[in-house]
Amino acid sequence: MEIQIKGLTKLYHSEGKTIKALDDVNLTIGDNTIFTLLGPSGCGKTTLLRSIVGLENPDFGEISIGDEIVWSKEKNIFIPPEKRGLGMVFQTYAIWPHMNVFDNVGYPLQNQGLPKSEIKQRVAETLKLVQLEGFENRPATKLSGGQQQRVALARALVARPKVILFDEPLSNLDAKLREETRKELRTFLCGLGITAIYVTHDRIEALALSDIIAVMRAGKVVEMGSPKKIYFNSDHKFVADFIGRANLIEGTITECTSHHATLKTAIGDIIGINNHHLSVGQNAIMCIRPEFITLAHTQTSHEKNIFKGVMENLVFIGEAYEGDIKIGDTLLTTTIEPTENIHDGSEIFISFSSEYCFIIAS
Amino acid sequence: MTQKSLLTPSLILMVGLLTICPVFMLVLGSFMDGFGTYEGFTLSKYVTAYTDPGLKDILFNTLIFTLGSASVATILALFLAYMNTRTNIPFKFLFKVISIIPMMIPHILFCVSWALLLNPSNGILNKLLIDIFGLSASPFNIYSLSGMILVEGLLDLPIAYLIIAPAMNSFDVSLEESSKVCGASNLQTLLRITLPVLRPAILASAILVIVRSLASFAVPSVLGIPGRIYVLPTHIYRMISTGFEPDYGQASAIGMSALAASVVLIYLYRYLTKESSRYVTISGRGFKPTLIDLKTYKYPLFTVVGILSFILIILPVIVLLYTSFVPYSMVPSFKAFSMMSLKHWHSVLVDPISLLSLKNSLILGVGGATIGIVLSIFVAYVIVKVRTRAAGVLESLSFLSFSFPGIVIGLGFMWVFVQTPLYGTLWTLLIGYIATYLPYGIRPLSSAFIQIHDSLEESSRVSGAGALTTMRRIVIPLLIPGVVSGWILMATMFVRELTLSVVLSRPGSEVLAVQILRFSEDGMWGQLSALGIIMIGISSSLVIGVTFIGNKFSRIHAS
Ligand SMILES: Nc1ncnc2c1ncn2[C@@H]1O[C@H](COP(=O)(O)OP(=O)(O)O)[C@@H](O)[C@H]1O
Ligand SMILES: [Mg+2]
Repeated sequence: MEIQIKGLTKLYHSEGKTIKALDDVNLTIGDNTIFTLLGPSGCGKTTLLRSIVGLENPDFGEISIGDEIVWSKEKNIFIPPEKRGLGMVFQTYAIWPHMNVFDNVGYPLQNQGLPKSEIKQRVAETLKLVQLEGFENRPATKLSGGQQQRVALARALVARPKVILFDEPLSNLDAKLREETRKELRTFLCGLGITAIYVTHDRIEALALSDIIAVMRAGKVVEMGSPKKIYFNSDHKFVADFIGRANLIEGTITECTSHHATLKTAIGDIIGINNHHLSVGQNAIMCIRPEFITLAHTQTSHEKNIFKGVMENLVFIGEAYEGDIKIGDTLLTTTIEPTENIHDGSEIFISFSSEYCFIIAS
Repeated sequence: MTQKSLLTPSLILMVGLLTICPVFMLVLGSFMDGFGTYEGFTLSKYVTAYTDPGLKDILFNTLIFTLGSASVATILALFLAYMNTRTNIPFKFLFKVISIIPMMIPHILFCVSWALLLNPSNGILNKLLIDIFGLSASPFNIYSLSGMILVEGLLDLPIAYLIIAPAMNSFDVSLEESSKVCGASNLQTLLRITLPVLRPAILASAILVIVRSLASFAVPSVLGIPGRIYVLPTHIYRMISTGFEPDYGQASAIGMSALAASVVLIYLYRYLTKESSRYVTISGRGFKPTLIDLKTYKYPLFTVVGILSFILIILPVIVLLYTSFVPYSMVPSFKAFSMMSLKHWHSVLVDPISLLSLKNSLILGVGGATIGIVLSIFVAYVIVKVRTRAAGVLESLSFLSFSFPGIVIGLGFMWVFVQTPLYGTLWTLLIGYIATYLPYGIRPLSSAFIQIHDSLEESSRVSGAGALTTMRRIVIPLLIPGVVSGWILMATMFVRELTLSVVLSRPGSEVLAVQILRFSEDGMWGQLSALGIIMIGISSSLVIGVTFIGNKFSRIHAS
């Protein structure tokens, strides 16, 4: 089921100030995709999700799910959440404490007025799906965090919704469980063939789970694309920095080829991908991710993108070394193979492949 | 929308009228010459009241009485809380019982049972001791300042315990452990680490007990007046009831200082408890303190706890039951048991005033609690869910009555009602009760509303349930426990209410506690005990009945 959002704006008024929680958001979320809203806390992800579900009444714009307009300011349409046929997993899980697992999960079906026998069967099926077979009669308050999360998932899925929405569903789990559940969830959602909208502030979660990521900032969608596109080829400095560790070096473009360009920076000329077709003379930023900085053993530095620097702040973290390389006054963060023989103060040569450096307009 | 925005202001108006109005009228009244006619502004009431040479003694008595009760209650509470949370003392369920059950025994009956046991002329225990040891006079006199302090301290023990036990429970044990690592013994650790760290809770408990005993009327009237020991509430009571010319103006003038003291103390209490957040949720820390092994002291200490629970819970009921059957106060003996009869029960059950007071108290208990809980639901909803600045005002207003001594606020209501047709009817009592005990209804409902986090309702909406279904299946079932406990608290408070009633009740609007006070003043212990047992019976059946209905109701709605 495709979801279309046009010109969505939501204002909050508190203590005399007006906050733009959503600022003219336009999105199309394709059928059968796992779509993630990623952004720092307070950027409006939850507000957007709640507007789609119908728990929030925005100020301007239009939302349609499939062919149906569920909310529109101009056309004065507001379909209440219970009529939208969606499933949602809340950040706090919102498991009803006075009901057992069966009643929690069966609730959406009871609301549809299905016969008891069918409810029973479908609850059992769904509980099996989330690996909670036979938990029907447990009181909801006697479950662990992970189990509660799966009850919430079962409840969101049991009525076979067109779209399922998640609001930071893993943030209340401990680190190890979070990692396991993240993997499971991806497999699980792919198997269901369902449109999923997933809200998180955790970049790894977003990269690992999504088909498409939309990065938000201050109520706006800044950039949208596949995880690889967002990671390797962000269009915005904010996105490049938010989605992973990055060295951002400012400079001026001095030379352009068809795909690449040379940027004159404080450490020297760097060649990188010029996706945005910036032209000579423009100021730009080179983004180099630490894992693409490698040690160069050749002393012959006629090649491009080879620089000489001094190792600083080196720490051994098991799978690698992490440290800074000082070139002139510039510090570049890097990771280095754990097998290298290197220490603080070593003079080294580094190189970065021009295919993994990219230029962003500043 | 407009309905919703009107809710908060109208509640503020209603609660404001209930709590501010009597105070305002009290102030006004203290400057009036006559009662009922608001004319003739005068300072003479203050002059007369505060130049009374007897006032010095009364203030001194009040000071000793309140400080003494606070010490007794707080020290006992500390002892019990420590035993419960920190030691391997057996039968820990007793502590829960101690902290809850005594609230179910009306204060006036508790006082009466002590008077029956230890009064100097024919107290059962005194007589027993005289017989056993061949003494020439009664060894104990409960009609004394120390007797009053003891009984008031025991009465306020549950309150003190409910403040201190949670603090003791959430105490970070590593503070103690590091003290022991530094070489301190258990006792040194207790004195130098545990008690100082608990100081805010200890102070809070002491202040609350002081406020309570400053407002207490049962102990000073049942135990103080016979020994001619007057404290502020009984001093006020004397002014408006004895003699042929009650002076409401002078009583109000004295009441002002009790009110002021109480308000200041509550302010202090709030300040002290502000730090520890009001709505404590489950803490994430998973430590279990290692229990101190009491070894050989285990059973002696347990005996102390056992005796305390016996005194607090069982003894009063036994004494009353016994007294209601024997013809006059006598030491339990074969003779006493052979003379037992239903004489007193019979005379109570044919006494028209006792029957009327029974009826009135039932009406006030059931009707008042029902009206009160409806008001509480709305107030708690606004306080917890609306949370605007106006809602904050409402919250302060509705908890204001906590700091008003009952008899003083009763006086205020007298001034409010004297010119109205409500004067002397049950309505004055009903309104006064609700105004004074509103916090008892709001507390449990606020916690219920806090528990119903918005997302619980929202997830129901997303699951396809409309607003009404969500109300019926999610909100109401989760609210019911709060409604039930609020209702029970209010109803039991109303059935036993003494302090306000003693001022507001008039011929025709007698209530149980006032009738019991009359019996006690006249020394009619037999009838008193019979009526008291009936009162306990009513309270207990209200508790049991409503709990049962509440359980049933919430189960039906959940499935
Ligand atoms: N009920 C509300 N009243 C006022 N401001 C709100 C409310 N809900 C959210 N906001 C504000 O709107 C912005 C976006 O909030 P939210 O959507 O919850 O962010 P996120 O989920 O991305 O962390 C924040 O600045 C937040 O403070
Ligand atoms: Mg959020």
